[in-house]
Amino acid sequence: MTSLISHRPITTDFSSSSLDRFKPSSIDHPSSSSSSSMDRVNFRTQVLTRHLQNHHNTATDLIQTAPCVNYSPPELSEPPADFDTKSLRKLLDGQSIDVIDYTFNLMMQSNLFCPRERGGKVFISPDFNQSMEQQREMTMKRIDYLRGLGSFDGWFSKKGTDGELWRFALAETVSVFDHSLGIKLGVHFFLWGGAIRFMGTKRHHDKWFKPTETFEVKGCFAMTELGHGSNVRGIETITRYDARTQEFIISTPCESAQKYWIGGAANHATHTVVFSQLEINGVNQGVHAFIAQIRDTDGNICPNVRIADCGHKIGLNGVDNGRIWFDDLRIPRENLLNSVADVSPDGQYLTAIKDPDQRFAAFLAPLTSGRVTIAASSMNTAKIGLATAIRYSLSRRAFSIRPNEPEVLLLDYPSHQRRLLPLLAKTYALSFASNYLKMIYVNRTPESIKTVHVVSSALKAVLTWHNMRTLQECREACGGQGLKTENHVGHLKSEYDVQLTFEGDNNVLMQQISKALLAEFLAAKKRNKPIKGLGLEHLNKPAPIIPSQLTSSTLRTTQFQTDIFCLRERDLLHRFVKEVSEHQALGESKEHIFTVTYQLAEDLGRAFSDCLILQTFLDVEATIPAGSLKNVLGLMRSMYTTILIEEDGSFLRYGYLSTDNAAVVRKEVMKLCSEMRPYALSLVSSFGIPDAFLAPIAFNWVDANSWSSV
Amino acid sequence: MKSPNPSDNQSDPIVFCGSALLVVLIILVAHYSYETRLKFMAPTSQVLLKESSNVRTIILNRPKQLNALSLEMVSRLLELFHAYEEDPNVKLIIMKGEGRAFCAGGDVAAVVHDINKGSWKLGAKFFSIEFTLNYLMATYAKPQVSLLRGIVMGGGAGVSVHGRFRVATDNSVFAMPETELGLFPDVGASYYLSRLPGFFGEYVGLTCARLDGAEMLACGLATHFVPLEKLHLLEDALCKANTGDQKIICSIINEFSGAPKLKEKSQYFRLKTINRCFSQRTVEDIISAIEKEASKNMDDWISWTIKSLKKASPTSLKISLRSIREGRLQGVGQCLIREYRMVCTVMRGEFSRDFFEGCRALLLDKDKNPKWEPSKLELVSDHMVDQYFVALDDEDWEDLKLPARSNLPSHAIAKL
Repeated sequence: MTSLISHRPITTDFSSSSLDRFKPSSIDHPSSSSSSSMDRVNFRTQVLTRHLQNHHNTATDLIQTAPCVNYSPPELSEPPADFDTKSLRKLLDGQSIDVIDYTFNLMMQSNLFCPRERGGKVFISPDFNQSMEQQREMTMKRIDYLRGLGSFDGWFSKKGTDGELWRFALAETVSVFDHSLGIKLGVHFFLWGGAIRFMGTKRHHDKWFKPTETFEVKGCFAMTELGHGSNVRGIETITRYDARTQEFIISTPCESAQKYWIGGAANHATHTVVFSQLEINGVNQGVHAFIAQIRDTDGNICPNVRIADCGHKIGLNGVDNGRIWFDDLRIPRENLLNSVADVSPDGQYLTAIKDPDQRFAAFLAPLTSGRVTIAASSMNTAKIGLATAIRYSLSRRAFSIRPNEPEVLLLDYPSHQRRLLPLLAKTYALSFASNYLKMIYVNRTPESIKTVHVVSSALKAVLTWHNMRTLQECREACGGQGLKTENHVGHLKSEYDVQLTFEGDNNVLMQQISKALLAEFLAAKKRNKPIKGLGLEHLNKPAPIIPSQLTSSTLRTTQFQTDIFCLRERDLLHRFVKEVSEHQALGESKEHIFTVTYQLAEDLGRAFSDCLILQTFLDVEATIPAGSLKNVLGLMRSMYTTILIEEDGSFLRYGYLSTDNAAVVRKEVMKLCSEMRPYALSLVSSFGIPDAFLAPIAFNWVDANSWSSV
Repeated sequence: MKSPNPSDNQSDPIVFCGSALLVVLIILVAHYSYETRLKFMAPTSQVLLKESSNVRTIILNRPKQLNALSLEMVSRLLELFHAYEEDPNVKLIIMKGEGRAFCAGGDVAAVVHDINKGSWKLGAKFFSIEFTLNYLMATYAKPQVSLLRGIVMGGGAGVSVHGRFRVATDNSVFAMPETELGLFPDVGASYYLSRLPGFFGEYVGLTCARLDGAEMLACGLATHFVPLEKLHLLEDALCKANTGDQKIICSIINEFSGAPKLKEKSQYFRLKTINRCFSQRTVEDIISAIEKEASKNMDDWISWTIKSLKKASPTSLKISLRSIREGRLQGVGQCLIREYRMVCTVMRGEFSRDFFEGCRALLLDKDKNPKWEPSKLELVSDHMVDQYFVALDDEDWEDLKLPARSNLPSHAIAKL
C-alpha cells in the first residue's frame, strides 16, 4: 500500500522558512526562491550521496531521527480560533441548530446506528459490509426507532417557516449519518407526503396524512420510467376512466413504461403516487398523479401489480429501489390527486388551469423541496469530507525538508493547501447559497415560483457537482486511508453520486437555467422595460470596467469581484441571445436551437449560479459586525471568487481576463491558501459535525490502527 | 440511609432518592462553622497519602462530612495529580475515602457561605480548581483506580468516574443530586452522563436517581464490581503488583470481581421506558411522556420519577438537559469549559437564585421546601437558558483555562 501514499514534494517550492505557516508571505517572496531551490538541490544531493555511500549509516540515522510516529491532536498544535466558531456555525445552520443537534443526539444513543470504538473514540456509521437486504432492513429499523421517539410527530401539522425549516433540518441531519436513511425518509415524506400535500386536496389530506406520519402507510413516488427520466412529459404509463364503476385503470403498455428506480418499491412501500398520462374519452390530458396501493398490510404485493428489484447499486443500498408494472390496476376515482384538475363521476375532465404547460409545472412542485434538501445535504457531505481530510492533514506528516528534521505536516505543503483550502472556502460560499435557497423556498409566493425553480435547479446542480469533486479531492488527500470505507471520504462518493442525476439531471438543469434567463431577457425587451428579477438587474446598468492590470489588492475588493462576475453573466447572456437569434433567422426550430447552443448555455448557467452565490455570500457578510469573523469571511469570499476565476475557462475564453492577469490570479490563489492555512482547523470545527459522525482518520489514527485494536 | 432500590421504598417513595443527599447536607451544616473549618484546614489531614513503591494511595479524609471536597482538598488533589504525572516513580494511583463514604460531593455549603460573605468569584475559584482536576483525571496518562465504598455523589463522581478504573461494591450509592439543589450536574457530568447507554444519563442527571453498585456497573459508570469484603485484598494486590500496566491492573481487579445481579426492580430494567421518555427534546416533553406512561401503567417508579422532576428546580432541569445534550457532542475539555460558564452564571444569580434557595431549604432552614424562582418550567424561557451557556459579561471573569495536554494515548481520553 505504500505506493498509494507516496507523493514527493519535488515540484513544490520550499524555502526553509516557508514551513512556518505563520509567515505565509515568505512562500512567494521572490528573493527566497533561488536560495530555496539551492537548498533543495543540496538536500537531495546529500540524500542521494548518503544513500549510495553508506547504507549502514542511513539505517542508524533513521532510527535516531525518526522515532515512532505519534498522533498529536491538531487542537494542540493549531492556533486557537480568533473568531467565535459558534457564531460561524450559526451562519451555516441558523435557527435549525437545536433540531440538528437534537437529532444527532438521538442517533448517537442507539445501537441501531452501529457505534464502534476506534482509537479511543466512538464513531457511528452504517455497516456497509452487510448485504443489500440487511442494509435495507437496518434503514427501516432506524426510521422506526426515530418514529418511536416521536421524531416525526407533527410532520404534516407543523406550519409556517418554523415547520418548513424543521422538516428540512430533520431530513438533512439523518443524511449526515447515512444517505440511504435520508433518502428513505425523503421519499416517504417529501415525495409521497409532498405529492399528497401539494397535488391532493382535503379528502386526500384527511385520509393520508395521519397514517403517513405513523408509517402505517409507507409511501413511494413512481414517476421515472425505464424509457423516460428527465423528460417526465414523455412517460408512457396510461390511465383511463371507467365511468361505469367510477374507477381509473392504470396500465403499463410496454416494457419501457415500467416504473424504474422507485425508492421504497422493492421491499417496504404499501402505496405509491403514480405519474401517468390521463386519457379521457380518447383525449390525452397530459401527466397526472394517482394514488395506488401496491402492497397489503402484510406486505404482499397487490393483484394487478408486479414489482421487481432494481438490484445492487454502486451506493445507497439501504434504499430498496424497485420497478413496477401496472396490469390494468383499478383505483377509485377519488385517488386522482386533484388540486389542479379533476374528473367528474360521469367522466368529464375539469380543470382550472387551461394551459397544459402551467398544469404540468404545478405537478412538479413536490420536486422543488427535494432539490432544496439535495442541495443542503450535498453541503453536509462536503463538510464531512473536508473536516476529515483537513484534520488528517493536520496530524499526518510526510517527508522531511532537511535531514534530521521532523517530517512536514501535509497541510504545511502549499500544494496540499491548494488542494483542500479553496474547496473549504467554496463549501462555505455554497452553504450560504443553500440557506438562501431554503429561505426563498420557505417564503415562496405564486409570483416567486419561477425564481425558486430556477435557483433550485442552478444550486442543486452546482452544489452536488461541488460535493463530488470535493469528496474526490479529499479521498486523494487522505491517501490510502481514503480508500477505507470506515473513513467515509471515498465511500461517500458512491453514496452521493446519485445526487447528480435524481430530481433532474445536472446538465439538463443547467441548460434550463439559460433558457429561463433568455426568456426573461426577451420578455423585458419586448415590453421595453428594464429587466427585473433573477438577479439580472445589473444588466440595466452600463457594463462594468475591469482594470487592465490586476493586483492582489484589486482581486480582493468586492467591487472587482462583483464586476467581473456580472460582466461574465451579462456578456454570456448577450452572446446566447445573439446565437439563438442567429439560428432563429435561419428558420431552425426552438428545440433544435437549444440542442446546438449547449456550450454557451452551460457557461451561462454557471455564470448565473456564481453571481447568485457571490451575492448571497455578500449578504451574509453584511450581517456581521466588523471584527475577526468578518475578516475570515472576507478571506473566504476572496478565495471563492479568485479560485473560480482561475479554474473556470470562460474568463479567459471570452476575454474577461488577460493572460497576464490570469498569472496574477494564479499567484493570488497561492497567497490566499497560505492566509487561510491558520484558520483551517477552526473553519472545519465550525461545521458543527459531531466527532462521532466523522472518521477514525480525523482523530487518533495511530491508535485506531494499533495491534491492540485488532 | 434508605436502600437505593426504589422497590424497597414503597412506604416513602419521595425520599428514597434525595435522602442520601439530605444526610450529607445535614452533616455538612452541622459541622459548618468557622471553628470547624479551621480545624480541617490543615492540608495533610484532609487528604492522606500512602506510598508503596510505585503506587500512591490517596485517601479523602473528612469522614464526618462524608469526605465532601473542600477548597483545600481539591487544591491538594490537583497538586498531587500534577506531581504524580511528572514523577517517573509513580505508576498507579488508588483513590478511596476514609470512613463509610467515598465522597459526597463538593462542599457546596462552604461555597455558598463564601458567596454570601463576599463574592461569587470566591466560589468560581473553587470550581475552576475542581474542574481542572476533573480534566486532569480525564486525560491522565497513568491509571487511577477508585474504590467506591458508600456514597459517590456529585463532586465525588467527578474525582472518580473520569479515571480509568472505577470499582463499585455492595454498598456503593451513586447520584448526581444537583437539580434538587438548584444546581446542575457539573464536574464533567455532561460528558460522562451523556455517554451512558441510551438516555439513562438524562434520567440520572434530571431525577437525581440513586444507583447501586450493580447499576453502576451495568450502565458503565463503574468498570468493575468487587464485593465489599474483598476490597482491601484488591488494594493489597494492586500495591503488591506495583505496576502501571493497564492490562495487568485490569486482570488483577477481575480476579476479585463478582458479577452482581441487578435487583428485580432495578430502574435499569426500565431503560426502554427511560429511553422513550428522556430522549424527548424538552423537559416539558419528557414530563408529558412520563405522564403518558403513567396513564398507561402507573407504578411506584413512574410516580417517583414524576415527583422528583416536579420537585427539582425548573431552571436547573432546563439547563441540565441542555448541558447533557451539548455534552454528548463535545469533548471532555469543552464540557468542563461550558460547565464552568454555567456554574459561574448560577453563582452570580442574575437569572435565578435557585442555588441559594436550594441551599437555604435543604441546608440552613431545613424546611425541605424550596421556593424556586422561576417557579414553573414554562416560565424559564429559552432566552434565559441561553444565558447560562455564553461567556459571562464581566471584566475580570474569564473562561476556564485548561492545562495543555500532549501526546496522550487514546485510553487517556476515552474511558467511557
